[in-house]
Amino acid sequence: MSSSNHKALNAMKQKLKKNNKQYEELINKYRENPESEEEKFEEEEEEEDEDESGSELEDPSQIPESSDEDDEGEELDDDAGDGAWEKKLSKKEKLMDREFKKDPSEITWDTVNKKFKEVMAARGRKGTGKFEQVEQLTFLTKVAKTPAQKLEILFSVISAQFDVNPGLSGHMPINVWKKCVQNMLVILDILVQYPNIVVDDMVEPDENETQKGADHDGTIRVWGNLVAFLERIDNEFFKSLQCIDPHTREYVERLRDEPLFLVVAQNVQEYLERIGDLKSAAKVALRRVELVYYKPQEVYDAMRKLAELSGDGEKDGDETKVEEARGPSSFVVTPEVVSRKPTFPDNSRALMDILVTLIYKSGDERTKALAMLCDIYHHALFDEFSIARDLLLMSHLQDNIQHMDVSTQILFNRAMAQVGLCAFRVGLIAEGHGCLSELYSGGRVKELLAQGVSQNRYHEKTPEQERLERRRQMPYHMHINLELLEAVHLISAMLLEVPNMAANSLDAKRKVISKTFRRLLELSERQTFTGPPENVRDHVMAATRALCKGDFQKALDVINSLDVWKLLRNRESVLEMLKAKIKEEALRTYLFTYCSSYDTVSLDQLTKMFDLSDAQVHSMVSKMLVNEELHASWDQPTRCIVFHDVEYSRLQALAFQLTEKLSILAESNERAVEARIGGGGLDLPLRRRDNQEYAPGTGGGGRWPDVSYNQGRQGGSGRTAYSGGGRPMALGQASRDRSSGQSRGTGGYSGRSGSGMRGSQMDASARMVSLNRGVRG
Amino acid sequence: MATYDLTPRIAPNLDRHLVFPLLEFLQEQQLYPDEQILKAKIELLNNTNMVDYAMDIHKSLYHTDDVPQDMVDRRVEVVARLKALEDAAAPLVTFLQNPSAVQELRSDKQYNLQMLKDRYQIGPDQIEALYQYAKFQFECGNYSGAADYLYQYRALCTNSERSLSALWGKLAAEILMQNWDIALEELNCLKEIIDSKSFSSPLNQVQSRIWLMHWSLFIFFNHDNGRTQIIDLFNQDKYLNAIQTSAPHLLRYLATAFIVNKRRRPQFKEFIKVIQQDQCSYKDPITEFLACVYVNYEFDGAQKKMKECEEVILNDPFLGKRVEEGNFSTVPLKDEFLENARLFIFETYCRIHQRIDMKVLFEKLNLNYEEGERWIVNLIRNSKLDAKIDTEMGTVIMEPNQPNVYEQLIDHAKALQGRTYKLVGQLLEHAQAQPAR
Repeated sequence: MSSSNHKALNAMKQKLKKNNKQYEELINKYRENPESEEEKFEEEEEEEDEDESGSELEDPSQIPESSDEDDEGEELDDDAGDGAWEKKLSKKEKLMDREFKKDPSEITWDTVNKKFKEVMAARGRKGTGKFEQVEQLTFLTKVAKTPAQKLEILFSVISAQFDVNPGLSGHMPINVWKKCVQNMLVILDILVQYPNIVVDDMVEPDENETQKGADHDGTIRVWGNLVAFLERIDNEFFKSLQCIDPHTREYVERLRDEPLFLVVAQNVQEYLERIGDLKSAAKVALRRVELVYYKPQEVYDAMRKLAELSGDGEKDGDETKVEEARGPSSFVVTPEVVSRKPTFPDNSRALMDILVTLIYKSGDERTKALAMLCDIYHHALFDEFSIARDLLLMSHLQDNIQHMDVSTQILFNRAMAQVGLCAFRVGLIAEGHGCLSELYSGGRVKELLAQGVSQNRYHEKTPEQERLERRRQMPYHMHINLELLEAVHLISAMLLEVPNMAANSLDAKRKVISKTFRRLLELSERQTFTGPPENVRDHVMAATRALCKGDFQKALDVINSLDVWKLLRNRESVLEMLKAKIKEEALRTYLFTYCSSYDTVSLDQLTKMFDLSDAQVHSMVSKMLVNEELHASWDQPTRCIVFHDVEYSRLQALAFQLTEKLSILAESNERAVEARIGGGGLDLPLRRRDNQEYAPGTGGGGRWPDVSYNQGRQGGSGRTAYSGGGRPMALGQASRDRSSGQSRGTGGYSGRSGSGMRGSQMDASARMVSLNRGVRG
Repeated sequence: MATYDLTPRIAPNLDRHLVFPLLEFLQEQQLYPDEQILKAKIELLNNTNMVDYAMDIHKSLYHTDDVPQDMVDRRVEVVARLKALEDAAAPLVTFLQNPSAVQELRSDKQYNLQMLKDRYQIGPDQIEALYQYAKFQFECGNYSGAADYLYQYRALCTNSERSLSALWGKLAAEILMQNWDIALEELNCLKEIIDSKSFSSPLNQVQSRIWLMHWSLFIFFNHDNGRTQIIDLFNQDKYLNAIQTSAPHLLRYLATAFIVNKRRRPQFKEFIKVIQQDQCSYKDPITEFLACVYVNYEFDGAQKKMKECEEVILNDPFLGKRVEEGNFSTVPLKDEFLENARLFIFETYCRIHQRIDMKVLFEKLNLNYEEGERWIVNLIRNSKLDAKIDTEMGTVIMEPNQPNVYEQLIDHAKALQGRTYKLVGQLLEHAQAQPAR
């Protein structure tokens, strides 16, 4: 439970206690014989009703007058459908109105306060409709006598509006959300207008604190927590996007509400900065960052335009609505002080810089880490690879990301994926592969990026886990395209792995750059017939087959035919880069594969074959020569590569074999001795240790005793291709740790939130239908 | 050639006074219009107390004999303040100028302070005044005086912050007086303090390192032994990190030092990686030259860069130091650089070739045939190059240096022997331990 909710609960408990004191007798009676409770309760209510209706009868002329005012409330109740409900609600509404309608001058702070307490006491009780409560409170804001009181009531309105939310998995009705946002703005209006009012949730304020009028000098404390409200609003927005089907109009409509939230966030942040609460301001800034960081410049511009347009249009509409709702009887008129339009710099980078600087300066550790990741993501999105990399390295986030919470880890994965894409776009293949290979090593990309639930066939998830996972999902518009990601990963793996395989064709096991790629290649090679490529993987495999033979043109064609490239902004240049890379790697592969068949190769032949310039070929080959990958040298006058065949005579070859065997013998001796005396003091040579690492399945299980790994193992034994048993890779380790951290984190979280959630859900589910209908009406 | 001028990037990291030598150099090279430089000088002088100098420059800039009133005012003010400070520091100064009195000072600071207080009525106020006086002297351009006073001040001062800034001041003064040996001592002293001191934030420490490196350029490229020392300093992890994060332009000097210095091979390989990594953040012909030779193996490109490097070196205030010899003025660093760069290219070139046409080779190395042949013969004679010249064909033929098969075999077998010995040893040890138990 978040601290604000916790506080709210405490406050409510106290209020309940206070309230119950009045009915102590009845409660005690009830406790004695519970079965008569229903009746009595109803009786009591009726009594109350009658009491009040008695007074109402005294002044019948007031009824028709006020009925107009009630239209709104009644409308809602009409739609509720249920006859019994309708009557009761409307009656109560009218009562409320009437009570205060009698004579505006008679309404005092006390009456309002009393009513307010009463309404608040009803909160969460079985018989209270949540929607109705919101209405009542909204009405109370109109009759509030002092700004502070209005503020207090507004806070309750917002909490009540949050209550409308039908359970944790669903989201808040959208129009309620919008009203909520409006209320936040009004709160800010008040706060800005009366700077002596202080919002605080640390101290329980005086009972009568809000009695102090607008002209009171000295601080007035009102209980509330702006940041918590704002975060809640944001969460609801996020949740609604998770729930709505992304392929509908509704989703788009919902996305358009984003500027609304940004306005509130901006204003709250400004307010907090003004009062010097920088820590909270940083939290708010983070929320804003989270809405901006994943947007490319085009999307950002679109949002900016939308905000300007709708800012004008919607503002008028909302104004009139709010004005109407407030009616003539609003005692404390709040002029609009804070702006209703978000202001955006032209460039999303500029906005990010402002926000992120604030956060780095005054945020707490988690906020800073999240902001840093968003920053990295954003830089990567704008093709600033070196900046993103430097940020990532200097922040040392990689080292301790396993110990952070799940959402941070997801963001980290997203940032890594984006950095990988960025590296690829700027032509840094090895770097790109390094970023992405980890994501793909477990085969759970979707899960790691929170872009869909991946089915794990070895282990059923409990419903609880599934629900949690669903709640972590990214909304559709924030997704990183998985096909593109896969294409980039596989292509970079191909570019690295194909020459590598050709260079070490004899001992293929020795140096593996991408396990995933090797496995896929093995699978595709095992097929008897290969059809035309369909998905990304097929395409890359087809390209690989061509590249292995040094046929760069075919490889290029296959890669070019992928339709994910249209998702790239600078498609032309990326494909151009890719072409150059494929040519280079084809050249390398060709030389590795066929060097034994040549004595000399002329430079001209190579340039013709691979459509490269002289200088390029020369530079590539020279590089290979210097790194001793290729045993050859240039013959400058004839422009040829001369291969030195390092062929041994038969005797020499046999001698090598002999030494090889001897070393194996020595090794097994060592192992035997080790087994006998226990390896403790053995100072084994380094080479032997290396071998152990590559040996299949030696004692892997004991080393990683976490849950998900063991599950992987059980399943893996059945499927040879995945060879789940002994994968002692350093790369896999990190992601595995992450997954275990994930499950651990979720466990803890569900334990805490589960019970509370279920209660509210049951309560809400009965009412959901009618509520929703009411909302649409 | 102004594109490769680093003055704008270096100047912010220097003391005001240290910028003057740079500007003087630029004026000599005539990279920028004279007027611009003179203006920059006045700008610099505005915040110093060298008012007379500023007046001179003003006169030559506008070709008048009139001096603006505010300069005159400032002069009066400066003189007054100098007087005041002199008075304040007078007791201590007279004490320090008295050799017999100074004899009484010991290495114990506390004792000294006590003694000064008891016998000469010199308290912390006077010592503080000495610092202010020295600072003022420095600002007036009286560097030697400033250096002396700061030295004395450091002997008496107890505040570590003050002592540190006094040290910076002393270093600047020594640099400006061109006492390279003393400056080098001060530099090392300062470096130790920076490395050992705990800074309030890592950022401050990095900033101090950056300053230190910039200031040290004056010393290293003037001191005899500087070129090895610059590598020792800049190539330390901490300093290299600082360079990479905040001052990548310093890579030029480190690269030059590496090229000029032949004995730094192991570090050189690491440094090439750094250059490769930082290509996106900083580039100039010198680093590009290294990238050409050691990363991309583009020898034609390297040759072009070499010519550009020459220009860069001539126009760099630190690298292009002139030595006057009779009527000639030469830039010794340039010649050395070119010689070594040539060697670099040639070395790499030979490694990947088996036969090279000498004409082409000499073209690449900017040598004529005669000169080149002599050069290669010398290399072969000094057994730096395993090759033969074929005059008939006009080629150099490299001796292939394939690893010998037998050597390889021996290598393999050697390890076996050692391992077996060890194994037996362990077995025996174990066997002996067993019965004892």
